[in-house]
Amino acid sequence: MDPLIMIGAVTVAGALIGGGVHFLPVGGAPAAIATATGVGTGTAMLAAGSAMTGLITAAAMTGSPLWLILAGGAVGSMLMIGVTMMVGNWVYVWGVGTVPASAKVTTDPITKFNQEKYVTPGTEGHGIPTVCFVSGIIGGLLGGIGGGLAYWAVYESLVTLPAYAPLVSGQTSIAAAMVAGVFALGLFFVNSVIASYNIGGTIEGFHDPKFKRLPKGVVACLIASIVTGLIGVLLLKGGVF
Amino acid sequence: MSVAGGGGGESAIDPKMTAGIGIIGGLIGIYATPINPVLGPLLAALGAVCAIVWGADAIARVASYGLGTGVPSIGYMSLAVGVIGTLAGLAGGIMMGSAYTMIAPLLGVVLSVILGGVIALIAKKIIGMKIPVLVTGTMELTAAAALSILGFSAAIAGSYAMAPILKSVVATGFIGLLFIMNTMAIQHPFNACLGPQEDRTRTLKLAASTGFISMAIVGLLGMGSSKAWWVIAIIGALAWFISLRMFLQASKDDAASVAWSGMWPKEEEH
Repeated sequence: MDPLIMIGAVTVAGALIGGGVHFLPVGGAPAAIATATGVGTGTAMLAAGSAMTGLITAAAMTGSPLWLILAGGAVGSMLMIGVTMMVGNWVYVWGVGTVPASAKVTTDPITKFNQEKYVTPGTEGHGIPTVCFVSGIIGGLLGGIGGGLAYWAVYESLVTLPAYAPLVSGQTSIAAAMVAGVFALGLFFVNSVIASYNIGGTIEGFHDPKFKRLPKGVVACLIASIVTGLIGVLLLKGGVF
Repeated sequence: MSVAGGGGGESAIDPKMTAGIGIIGGLIGIYATPINPVLGPLLAALGAVCAIVWGADAIARVASYGLGTGVPSIGYMSLAVGVIGTLAGLAGGIMMGSAYTMIAPLLGVVLSVILGGVIALIAKKIIGMKIPVLVTGTMELTAAAALSILGFSAAIAGSYAMAPILKSVVATGFIGLLFIMNTMAIQHPFNACLGPQEDRTRTLKLAASTGFISMAIVGLLGMGSSKAWWVIAIIGALAWFISLRMFLQASKDDAASVAWSGMWPKEEEH
């Protein structure tokens, strides 16, 4: 594959990942003690869980057409983030004993249910209400497509090189898949941390006022991904040993 | 999220000293890998531990300002940069011809520092983070991350060239393990010790113990590819035991008192 296409694909992937992170209901430490809406952990952890699952499902589709790899990554990431949010909600509802409610909006934009009455005084909401769940699934979709795209671009570039040729022609090259997977994982972490700096640690989803910072975050991720892609080209140029 | 806050306080340990230990120790360790099939990988693993101690000190200096995203996030980011930079540097070293294989690890570190610097500049200029040491701190951190990955990879593979590392570290999937393990080793010490009474000497004792326990695990990972695996594992485990004892002793010395809470009561009182 042309190195320029690889840089382009990695850049688009980075922007998708950075944008997707803005949709995740990241609650951080306050959510861990049920005093803020969202999943009670940081962006890096949520990204790690969904990115790794997405990359494994995308890698399972290696050799298929591009859209299948992207769909594989998206489904894996969406499933993982969905399971994380649902099990988190079980803990918040039956373990902590709180009602899923958002303090950022008075009514849930999707279900139109009243939120205000159910927010415990002194907290910023708790649990993962419907709008946050839907937003999180959208985030998983974007992130998964981005991760799959980066994996596809690096794998397809590497596998044509003699050093990464598959042991049996026509089969998957494990070395190329691992390098591509680690590269995509690194890209995922870099962009998710930049996005998390942009949202200042916590966000509820697309209904959160902080969501307006999205364009700035996407631009930042775009620039970081171009540089990452440029450095990634060395992987291809050195693969001829 | 992070409540470290404040920042910029006087550190008990000179940053130049930890940087020196990290850079010189790490590079000597990595470049000494080919000297002997047993001693070389051992030195590479020790070099990686030096880099981890440096990384833990660098993360403490950056994160003491309060990142807003928690200490682990910058640790993951720097290791992601370190892995990308290391792989690209090792592969790029080959491009320049076999005479220049020597340059490859150095190129990996330089690429990581460049990428780390770019990301920190983006965070400062575009996102507008107000941490004065963000750029230099991130550059130090990514260099330490790259050195720790290189050192442990060389210890497992028994060489710092791309082909053996690709065969016994990347294709086996150990690179993913190194990614997360080194992140933990670098970010855990400050994440565990942060607070108003944080003492950098004590934090770095914990950093030595997390580095050495990683080294012991790296020794076990090298079972299939390196003759030195048992030496690395045993020395790592012994050094881990000593450094963890030092850390526990330092914690006890600084504590007002240490008391055993006793077992919970037999019946719950209602």
